[in-house]
Amino acid sequence: MKNIKLILCVIGNSLAFSAYSLEQLSDSSLSGVQGQAGLTIEQSQLLNIGNLSYTDDANSLNIEGFRISSQTDSNATASRTYTLDVLEDGSLKMKTEIEPTQLHINGIRINNSAASFGDLTLNYEAITDFSIKGMSTGGLEGKFTTGISNARMIWQTNGYGMSFDNIGYNASIDNFTLEYDATDNTKGFLRTGLALGMDNFAFSFSTGALSLGGVSLGELAGNLALSANAQIFAGGRSGDEGLTLHSQVNILSDVNNYVRFTDEGNSLLMGDFSGALNLTNLTFDVELDHLAIGFDQMDGSFNAGTILIGDSLRPVGSIELDFMLNDDTVNNRYNRLQLYPGIRQPDFNMMPDQIKTYAETFYTGLGPASEGLSMAAQWNLANAELSYIDDGRRVVVSGIESYGSANTTVDVRDKKLAIGISDLIGSYSIDGLRVGSKTAPIQGGAELLLSLEVFQAMDFDIDGFTEITAGGISGGGIRIDGDYFFNNSNIGLSVDENGEGIWATGVNYDIHLRDITFDVESDGLKINRGEQWSTMDIANLRWGNKNTGRSLGRVKLERFEQNSSLAVLPGGAGQVCVGASASTESTCGSGGGRWEDRGDQGMTVALTAKLADISKGSGDSAGAKNRLTWENNRTVTDGQPVNGTGTQIIFDNYSTNDGLGTADSNDYGLQANLNIDVYETKVLKKSTDALGSIGDELIYNDASRTDFTYVTSPSAAQKSLRPLGFAVQGNVSFKELNIGAVQLKHPDIATPETVFYGVVMQNLNLTTNLTATPIQ
Amino acid sequence: MIKIIIIIATFIYLPLSVALEPLAEEDMQKVQGQGGVYLSGDITINDTGGPLNNMADTSNPSVWQKNCTTTSTDVRCGARIAVNAGDGSNSGWLVLDNIRGRFSFEGLTLTTRTIDSGFDGDGAAFNNDVLEIGLPNTVNYGDVSYTLANSNQARPTDTGFQQTDIFSVNINGDVSLRGNLLLFPTGNP
Repeated sequence: MKNIKLILCVIGNSLAFSAYSLEQLSDSSLSGVQGQAGLTIEQSQLLNIGNLSYTDDANSLNIEGFRISSQTDSNATASRTYTLDVLEDGSLKMKTEIEPTQLHINGIRINNSAASFGDLTLNYEAITDFSIKGMSTGGLEGKFTTGISNARMIWQTNGYGMSFDNIGYNASIDNFTLEYDATDNTKGFLRTGLALGMDNFAFSFSTGALSLGGVSLGELAGNLALSANAQIFAGGRSGDEGLTLHSQVNILSDVNNYVRFTDEGNSLLMGDFSGALNLTNLTFDVELDHLAIGFDQMDGSFNAGTILIGDSLRPVGSIELDFMLNDDTVNNRYNRLQLYPGIRQPDFNMMPDQIKTYAETFYTGLGPASEGLSMAAQWNLANAELSYIDDGRRVVVSGIESYGSANTTVDVRDKKLAIGISDLIGSYSIDGLRVGSKTAPIQGGAELLLSLEVFQAMDFDIDGFTEITAGGISGGGIRIDGDYFFNNSNIGLSVDENGEGIWATGVNYDIHLRDITFDVESDGLKINRGEQWSTMDIANLRWGNKNTGRSLGRVKLERFEQNSSLAVLPGGAGQVCVGASASTESTCGSGGGRWEDRGDQGMTVALTAKLADISKGSGDSAGAKNRLTWENNRTVTDGQPVNGTGTQIIFDNYSTNDGLGTADSNDYGLQANLNIDVYETKVLKKSTDALGSIGDELIYNDASRTDFTYVTSPSAAQKSLRPLGFAVQGNVSFKELNIGAVQLKHPDIATPETVFYGVVMQNLNLTTNLTATPIQ
Repeated sequence: MIKIIIIIATFIYLPLSVALEPLAEEDMQKVQGQGGVYLSGDITINDTGGPLNNMADTSNPSVWQKNCTTTSTDVRCGARIAVNAGDGSNSGWLVLDNIRGRFSFEGLTLTTRTIDSGFDGDGAAFNNDVLEIGLPNTVNYGDVSYTLANSNQARPTDTGFQQTDIFSVNINGDVSLRGNLLLFPTGNP
């Protein structure tokens, strides 16, 4: 109800404070309206509102300096024309033509807070057309189309801005209905509200450039069609006032649906998608110092039939996602978002030493009145199922659960978007995999995702500070500098659905990134890592339970890389000969190998790790190096082993070079190329018993892949029912990998004793053709 | 994949307690939801030489630039590991040189499991988790070769480089590997 009041208030103020001009119609103009019915209103509008407040339970959202004016002169009027007609079916039809107009807000505050969300400017021109009429059952129905063009939106904080340039937006609704008959009792009493229905709401959008400091990050475009229903009620989650909304959205299946990000003419595209989204009890409230948004449940599905990387015509495959976020009142896990005006800095004294200095530097120059956006978020993902389908073969990452909370600040600085995240505390886990279908039995094997840098489970406490600059390694793109720290986290490396497996526990992990660029290029997505150094200190590497499992000891991995890169390319391994060296099916078979055609889809990950020698560091990275330390036999204090008190074996200062030693160039690095497909795997029986003989193949009885039998010599049809798994053709190569020293350190001595004064490994080219199937 | 290989390699080479036990594959496969993977395929080392042999890469030292085909026998076509186990610059290097070949296998399994019975009663007393590597029944070696040598310098490109080959090995054929390898932490972490 407050929202309606707000709208009425805006319109009222608009009429009250606008400046109008009336012009005489010329004779020629009059001659053009012979026989026409209706009314045409030409309006020249200059609107200035000093302060517009929306009050909810005595808390106010203040919109300051609201202005509608000409784009070229903030003191001049903008023109628009309204044409109204009554159609034969009794509909009121109104067409609005808006000439180039500027909408500007100086600042948005909560209860006149010292800081604001920043100022917003929208330049646009538009044509809208809608008709509306009464319904026989009460309420209103109609049609709607709009086209916004030549639009530019600018968000500024503290004098610096980011903009979405050249925005285009077109939308149409075939039929919408508006009725006052929706009911709701989520607040413990029955209330009536607005019911809004939209049939075939189709829209497309494009933004020519998302830019920082005049440099483009890239372009966004999309096309979508959906049908939706929404119910809107007065009264939010707290107090008596506010707003509540339920909605049911169906994304209509259409091959023309897409979302596309384009960088220098090369695109990432997700298309042919469909799905659904249901929201229960989405609420908006203005609180003492923030805007509160929350929902009880959001569930839905999202299916993308086409995924393209680069401008290649080869799709990566398709994905399907089913998810449900809901409140868990038993464990106090909710889905809430609080938006605060300004920058709410974290308590630096409560931060770990490893990140404290970086955090203080990140917020230098910002104060209580600084503009920006601060968020406190909570989430509870009760379950998600993610399917990846490669040439018709499906693998489901099943039982994805996550909960947690985080504080985030966002502001624009000189040519940078600054994002600070503190106390990102939470957990996630993956139960396992299903292969073949969504209903196949759950299996182990999610550790296969380690090849994609996805851990199976994690309890985390993260502080991280990121600056995003426009411009990648070439032209547009994104550049990132950041410092991050994982405090006392637990990482599941191989874990079943009961949480048992191999755990890295008590992990302190600090990561520093400099000049990391993301570019979409003609053949794929490229990530160039200018400089990166990190220390992953695992207090205990445990077998079994993450709290009580036996520990292997402490493992500390220090990394230092310069000019490393990662590329994600469409297409997998294609045709492969496993077990022999051959390029054709016949020569592969005659050579004792097995020929596999893994199809056109799939994905290739190409990694180049240029491990840098300690002498290469400077500035923040001075002294950084690659080192692996394993320590055990530590003394125990308060039941916990104390790091640094045990015996250590140290692989010190290892690095790559181009073959002539650490003084040589490091252009080649350590290269790892992984061609990843989903493919049938030959699984052989290992012992003879009543089920079959040793060497028999495991073959599923049908495509549901639930029951299987062992077959001595499977037919071609039976081979298509082999277990599915990740087929990885990998190649690892380096010109030289140099280990400076291998050392042993006893706790009673200060300096480690050297065992090997150097290890030099050269000219390795290792290729693997492995198919990894989850064990059922 | 790399991480899996690293994890495997780490666990294999660290001085853990290791036990071999008879296969229990059927029990393992019937446990729903149990973690683990079944690996099949091959691993090939320097089938057509390594990156230093690439003659199109002019930055490669001439001593390494060789035409390495699958049938080439040039000693520079393999991978090389040199270890200084002496006292640094005053000592020589122990070398595994010209490492090449292919290993093919079906059914290497990796999983974690709880040991709480068997092993003549030791299992109940242990009652904890182990990393189980299920060995493939057969590993095929295809032209697996290496040379054990001593050299006075780490690299063939180093000044004054000299190397004495001690012996070379070439392996073709099948090796039977049956059973499970169990890895579990012991002692004081």
